[in-house]
Amino acid sequence: MIEVEHLSKIYGSTPAIQDVTFTVEPGEIVGFLGPNGAGKTTTMRILAGYLPASSGTARIAGYDVHEDSIAVRQRIGYLPEVPPLYPEMTVEGFLYFVTQIKGVPAGDRALAVNSALKRCNLEEKRKVLIRKLSKGFRQRVGIAQALVHDPPAIILDEPTVGLDPRQIIEMRKLIKSLAGSHTIILSTHILPEVSMTCSRVVIINRGKIVVTNTPENLEASLVEGSGYEVEVEGDPETALERLRAVPGIRLVESMAMEHLRDNRSVYRIVSATGAEPGREIATALVSSGLGLCEMRRTRASLEDVFLQLTTSEKAIADDWSRGAEEQRSRGAEGQRSRGAEEQRSRGAEENSHSALSTKDEALRESQPSSFEEGENQEQEGDL
Amino acid sequence: MRIILANIMAIYRKELLSYFASPLAYAIAAVFWFVAGCFFMTILLGEINQAAIVDQQYGGTVPPFDVPYRVLQGFLNVMGSFSLFILPMLSMGLYAEERKRGTLELLATSPITNWAVAVGKLLGVVTFFTAIVTPVLGYEAIALSASDSPVPFVVPLLGHLGLILVAASVLSLGMFISSLTDSTVLAAIFTFVGVLLLWTIDLFGQMFGGVVGAVFGYLSLLRHYSNLVQGVLDTSSLVFFASFIVLGVFLTAQSIDAFRFQRS
Repeated sequence: MIEVEHLSKIYGSTPAIQDVTFTVEPGEIVGFLGPNGAGKTTTMRILAGYLPASSGTARIAGYDVHEDSIAVRQRIGYLPEVPPLYPEMTVEGFLYFVTQIKGVPAGDRALAVNSALKRCNLEEKRKVLIRKLSKGFRQRVGIAQALVHDPPAIILDEPTVGLDPRQIIEMRKLIKSLAGSHTIILSTHILPEVSMTCSRVVIINRGKIVVTNTPENLEASLVEGSGYEVEVEGDPETALERLRAVPGIRLVESMAMEHLRDNRSVYRIVSATGAEPGREIATALVSSGLGLCEMRRTRASLEDVFLQLTTSEKAIADDWSRGAEEQRSRGAEGQRSRGAEEQRSRGAEENSHSALSTKDEALRESQPSSFEEGENQEQEGDL
Repeated sequence: MRIILANIMAIYRKELLSYFASPLAYAIAAVFWFVAGCFFMTILLGEINQAAIVDQQYGGTVPPFDVPYRVLQGFLNVMGSFSLFILPMLSMGLYAEERKRGTLELLATSPITNWAVAVGKLLGVVTFFTAIVTPVLGYEAIALSASDSPVPFVVPLLGHLGLILVAASVLSLGMFISSLTDSTVLAAIFTFVGVLLLWTIDLFGQMFGGVVGAVFGYLSLLRHYSNLVQGVLDTSSLVFFASFIVLGVFLTAQSIDAFRFQRS
């Protein structure tokens, strides 16, 4: 349905994306995942026919997005990074306008608008001016706008940005419900979103595709990191020795933790592939007279895969969460300045080898506010 | 063809809606009507006074001068100049707003050509301007109906047609300038400067003389406008306005294409 071959886009001399190749089968939901400034929006814009590529081809439903632009535009629904809305229109009026410019036959328009309103849970807001809607509702109108004409292919650039946890869950349900009858490509920097909604994931970093696979396979491929975390009361030396003796364990590390009570220590245990040594660990500790205060299963998540694939140093990974925290506190910036910041951070990243402080800065800037945020949202949402 | 027309209509309706829902448009209309009313009164009373003075001084011996035509001409000339200030404010947001809000991305990824968008937008804003100019015809109808030898109504109509044609040209230029920037203020300022140049280019033409002068003279909006105001329906003026409008639409469509190609 969507075929992208060797797509590159160069702004001046800086490449935004390089040699991007992937395909999306009909009815599939593919997640386009990457940190800010990785080239997600550029790729989406090229697919939607808004930007021409510097080289390479992209085809949707067999039509080249550049050569047969109009034919492609008839077959896609597109939600840009900023939802394109006219504040002086009502929700209903705006969607009706969209059906007009998307070429929906006059007789089917009212029906199309109604079903889009229903799908996006906007029925109660149909007569409200878009100017008066909250950000979450505007985002939903943006999505309604992308699917009101029932296009075979839907391109969503960060569809869940600005939604509250409940709305995020609804939005993911909505996106999932569209699979099968529609082909969807969505970009995001929120990892749980991908594992929850997408059947396949394309990870992009600094304009290049790092990997394409299903979320499950990616997680499975990263056996390293699945294991246990235990808090032990008693002599640390003995504990370490005992744990190392347990079969099915590949690695035991003592972890430095603050706020630990006296005489307690925490260990990270990495199990061997396929092994489930939980019971043995508990027995080993308890039988040697040590206190087992806490034992927790740790699983490799898509985040680990992502970090492993997009960064080489572990130190960077640790910095990420810190950077994310700061980024979030800095809050929402204007759309236009965001673009500038992306550029800046891309430049900064390139210089990162020369100076350590620059590197830190670059990381902080380029870090998706994502990972933690995504998780928090999940937790809140589950309540 | 039918699809293109339907697209133009969709954009046209959307534009009209945005004007009639926008407080700025109502403010502009209110100012326009107020100022037009003031000018009309002043010009009318001025002419009446002058007629009275002439009557007193010369009695009935001088050939009578045509008060209705003088009022009409004076008024429409003032309206033309006054529109120069109003029109950039109407055209400034045509594309700059779309660019700023990101809605251009919706239009550019819909199966609709840049041409259709530009034509729809221009029609919308010209319709709005026509709507605020039309009530002024009422003033004239009342005043001219008192004229002793009745004035054919086609004369003020032709004058207003001229006003609308000038407005459409200016708006078409303003639309192009608006498509070059995402700042409405910049768009308004540059449109104003551009229109002022085209309005007064006649004066520069007179300075040069010769072929250059003739070309400059032909480019002057004011000259073509004066023709229509005087009740002269000159084909060359109509051609001038038509080509001016088409050029504006063409440049707008091109600039949006170029914008998408070079943006970073």
